[in-house]
Amino acid sequence: MATRGEFLEKIRREVRRAPGLFAASPAARPDRPTEAAAAARRQMAERWPEALERFRQEFERVNGIFHRVAGLDEVAGVIRDIAREKGARELVAWAPGELGLDLRPSLEPQGVSIAVAPTDGRDDARRRHREAAARAPIGVTGADFALAETGTLILISGAGRPRSTSLLPETHVAVFDRERLLETLEQVGVMLEALHADAERSMSGGVISFITGPSRTADIELTLTRGVHGPKEVHAIFVGTR
Amino acid sequence: MKNPVRASLLVTCLVDLFYPEIGVAIVKLLRRLGVAVDFPPGQTCCGLPLFNSGYHEEAARVARRMIPIFSGSEHVVVPSGSCAWMIKKEYPGLVGDDPAVGSQARTMAERTHELSQFLVKVLGVTRLETDFRGRVTYHDSCHLLRGLGESQSPRTLLGGLPGVELVELPGADECCGFGGSFSVRFPEVSTSILDKKIANIEKTGAGCVVACDAGCLMQMSGGLSRKGSPVKSLHLAQILSGSDPS
Amino acid sequence: MTASPRFGERAAVALKDAFLQEALEIATTKFIGLRKDSFAGFPEGEGLRDQARAIKEATLQKLDHYLEQVADNVERLGGHVHWAATAEEARETILGLCRDRGVKMAVKSKSMATEEIELNEALERAGVTPIETDLGEYIIQLAHEKPSHIIAPAIHKTKGQVADLFSRELNERFAADPEVLTAAARKELRQKFLQADMGITGANFAVADTGTVVLVTNEGNGRMVTSLPRIHVAVMGIEKVIPSMTDLMVFLAILARSATGQKLSVYTTLVRGPRRSGEVDGPEEFHLILMDNGRSRQIAGALREALYCLRCGACLNVCPVYRQIGGHAYGETYPGPIGILLTAMLKGDRAVKDLAHASSLCGACQEVCPVGIDIPRMLIALRHRLDRERIAPLGERLMFRIFGRVLASPALFRLGAALGRLAQRPFVRDGRLRSLPLLFGRWTRSRDLPPLARRTFSERWKDLA
Repeated sequence: MATRGEFLEKIRREVRRAPGLFAASPAARPDRPTEAAAAARRQMAERWPEALERFRQEFERVNGIFHRVAGLDEVAGVIRDIAREKGARELVAWAPGELGLDLRPSLEPQGVSIAVAPTDGRDDARRRHREAAARAPIGVTGADFALAETGTLILISGAGRPRSTSLLPETHVAVFDRERLLETLEQVGVMLEALHADAERSMSGGVISFITGPSRTADIELTLTRGVHGPKEVHAIFVGTR
Repeated sequence: MKNPVRASLLVTCLVDLFYPEIGVAIVKLLRRLGVAVDFPPGQTCCGLPLFNSGYHEEAARVARRMIPIFSGSEHVVVPSGSCAWMIKKEYPGLVGDDPAVGSQARTMAERTHELSQFLVKVLGVTRLETDFRGRVTYHDSCHLLRGLGESQSPRTLLGGLPGVELVELPGADECCGFGGSFSVRFPEVSTSILDKKIANIEKTGAGCVVACDAGCLMQMSGGLSRKGSPVKSLHLAQILSGSDPS
Repeated sequence: MTASPRFGERAAVALKDAFLQEALEIATTKFIGLRKDSFAGFPEGEGLRDQARAIKEATLQKLDHYLEQVADNVERLGGHVHWAATAEEARETILGLCRDRGVKMAVKSKSMATEEIELNEALERAGVTPIETDLGEYIIQLAHEKPSHIIAPAIHKTKGQVADLFSRELNERFAADPEVLTAAARKELRQKFLQADMGITGANFAVADTGTVVLVTNEGNGRMVTSLPRIHVAVMGIEKVIPSMTDLMVFLAILARSATGQKLSVYTTLVRGPRRSGEVDGPEEFHLILMDNGRSRQIAGALREALYCLRCGACLNVCPVYRQIGGHAYGETYPGPIGILLTAMLKGDRAVKDLAHASSLCGACQEVCPVGIDIPRMLIALRHRLDRERIAPLGERLMFRIFGRVLASPALFRLGAALGRLAQRPFVRDGRLRSLPLLFGRWTRSRDLPPLARRTFSERWKDLA
């Protein structure tokens, strides 16, 4: 096996030997990412209605199903309807603290059991939750960003916010509000730069997932088919302010 | 009267040997437009077939011979997108360091024009008269289209001819399968690409396919005539100059 | 493996395969249209492509620096970095991990890098079952074939063939319906995801500044493979590293558009090392294998630009040669025009003795390339090396030397034309040459040739002057 030193020395030698093809530099990054992120948020505080409309269009274009409710107390109703339509008796959801609401009080009396993600990562709890996620027909998550340009939901994994919630169930429901809306990939770049500039947050969450509609394939005769490995259906519930 | 535009014809090996009538058509056309045409002697080939096959020393030798022949030319007119590309884009790199011809190569690159570009962009011609009549379609030669970035000039010229109906060729920008030595190295693949081109040509209902490169014409006419198709293939200059000048 | 000398024969076989011909035509035409539409409504696309190209070039100019940075950051996040100078070393690293950790089954998401190192065969020999989970790759694996397209590996198979294959391999009769077949694969592979000990992926990008490995998929198998097994191994060519998250956004904006015409692929997964404390899923261990395997030689070599490649497949779809013969005829891991360059890079010039000429140099590949790789120019450079290194056949080299002499001398040129006119006489019929001997027969087998004119233009000029 090559050692790091040998390997890099070889690369260094070749790099020194090579005249560049042309003068080039990487994309210009924000000097102060945290401030740039704050500026983007201020901008979005003004522009969120347009961004929301664009998000809805693009999300529907990739076969997402969009819902809008006036307040958090109406979210459970939408999820109940989705569960009824699917005949689902079991749900997995992000921990209430991460999702922003606890679905249990409103849905369990209606006969829908909810496995809420553990936050401590103990092995038995992890295993149990994994099994629940593999079984449950519906998974409910939040979204860290909703990107209007492409209709994309962006989810950062972490304690109480498992990646499997948006992956294993056939139906994924993401709940978000206007604070989460971004317009462009460029803004997402700024947000991710800011995230990594923050020493503590940069260590949280093993995976950031961009989700643009339901899982799809066209590998058999180019016929578009949904739900090959991930969800067949993706719902976005936007919680507006009253 | 102002001085006439002077242009030297670089006729290309394929036109010289196989399609001299194209050269004649160009001379007649340019003279009709008031251009003083000359034909510097000693021309052979631009060296592209050597260059594209990787024989760069041989190509450079050919270039070093060709360049001085045109050192006194105000404009060099070439009836082929690929040869014009070779001279404009490759000569400076190929022999640019040669003290004898390096600077001449750069000058020649600047002064060289593919025929349709010369007509439209240098002479400013867009409307011509011709006695050619009928429906034609246009095939984009790869080097003219992508090498020199030209798709409009030939269409402008053809579209401006009274009595000529220009119909767009489906997949006009797709290769005809010629590719120089490629056409004999892999004749089956080359012909298979050509078959698709011919099917598209036939779809247009045009009586004639027009191109700005003798290589493409050789390939397309070879396929059309083998198939017994009545569709003719002609160089742009032949359409523009009208009645068969041979 | 020197498969390439028989390119012509394999191409001829492909040309006679009527289904393949139809499938290729439909698939490539569809991809071309999707890509075109996607960029048509995206005026900033041109600028982003220029920028993406500049980022790749800038990264190469400091590749050692960015590789160190990505390694440091992966380790900071709790991952392990391995340095593989060759395909052999990359395979051994993975086999070693399998041995040490008792891995019996590995699920894979589509990765050209693992195809390149022929990992599946090595795993099988070592008693580890590799399961391809991209639907197309799964089909190919069951059929014991090789992918024929970078992003649509099974475009050469009909749904009927897939139904027969699944019915045989999964012991259940399936209808020839993509919906049914996809559901069957979902069910079968879901169990594998949950059982497997190791997930193996490639990487579309690795962000140096943050140590993030980026996977782009549509099916979600990339997420499965990086979320469920206890070990995740990513195999990545060294050229995939990019400086920052800001750069990543530039590439994401053009990658899917170039490949499938989507604005973004369904899933873009940013992997930041192993599972963090408190997380329910994700691997306990994350390994990144940084692989050279011939790449570094080209940093200062003629194929430098090929190191920009994003593996989007756009150049395959527009290539007139690929569109006629498909991926298998190339006989190598990477098909199409970019594949010729990558094959030369990974296996040396001898491997592309024939393939280097399997292009009409039409330039369509460069035109659609999201990072503007000048593929035709590099093919010409490769051909040049084949002559210089005496890999090209002696007969060919001699012929071109003579040809060069003739073209450099007006006297010889005239003489050649005169001799040609004499020689062609017995063959001219109705003003055409329909059948010629020797090399010329390769032309006239399927096409007519115009005879050399009775008088060349040079001779006729006197009448015009």
